[in-house]
Amino acid sequence: MALLKTFTIRSVFSGTHRAIISSLRSYSSTPVVAEEDDAPVEIENPYKKEKPQCILCKLNITPDYKNYRLLSQFQSPYTGRIYGRHITGLCKAKQALVESEIRKAQNCAYLPYYYKDKAFLKDPRLFDPENPIRSHRF
Amino acid sequence: MPSYELALMLKAMPKPELKTTLTRISHAIFNRGGIIRNIENLGFRAMPYKTSSHSLVHREANYFVFKIDTATQAVADLKEEYSRDVDIIRQRVYKIPDKADQTCTLEQELLPPAYREEVQKMIELGKSQVNRFTYKFKYNSGLDYYPFQK
Ligand SMILES: [Zn+2]
Repeated sequence: MALLKTFTIRSVFSGTHRAIISSLRSYSSTPVVAEEDDAPVEIENPYKKEKPQCILCKLNITPDYKNYRLLSQFQSPYTGRIYGRHITGLCKAKQALVESEIRKAQNCAYLPYYYKDKAFLKDPRLFDPENPIRSHRF
Repeated sequence: MPSYELALMLKAMPKPELKTTLTRISHAIFNRGGIIRNIENLGFRAMPYKTSSHSLVHREANYFVFKIDTATQAVADLKEEYSRDVDIIRQRVYKIPDKADQTCTLEQELLPPAYREEVQKMIELGKSQVNRFTYKFKYNSGLDYYPFQK
């Protein structure tokens, strides 16, 4: 019974194989492919890199002086100095906004001027001050 | 009426007194035709730096933020009134900024200097000016003496 089955399957396969070959031959012998189908297709550059965005623009965050925990992440833990754009990696507009909001928060006594609150010292780092985008003299 | 944010630091005091202080602050706004949209309590906590006001040193404060709509002329008036209030340690008024929907310009900023627009503008400006390092004084300028030290 099993032998019969394999035999029938083989015969069917060989039959289809022959049919495919014959159909291929018929196509290749008659070049009826339309020119529009074969023309190069206009597509966008698939190798184009993704547009770089700063972390605040990517997450759509507007810095606010009341959110002082976020702002304290842009300050040095040693001196309270605001890190520059070459360290934070922000775009110009967001960096200016962050700086002005930090000044406001310090003025409202939400943030200290010369140190970082020790409760915020273990917050995740948004950037590495040791590896700035552009070199600096500090 | 423009919207303002009134950030207040009140001195440490028991709850009923805090309540009367807040009502006093609010009535000052209402008396000048303003309205309060929102009052936020940011809690009682230690200040990052000690502050002295009304001949008292404060190390802790109750933080409040009032969102108010009031006439621009009334703001200075309010500030003056609150500066006389002995329960208020510190007060700041900020205008609520407009929602500016801007796109990130980080891509242009990371380009090499020659491709940045502001650098190109600077180069154009430099071309229109006299280069003082390569400028040579011309003796036929009409002066009958050499104006610089030799
Ligand atoms: Zn950005």
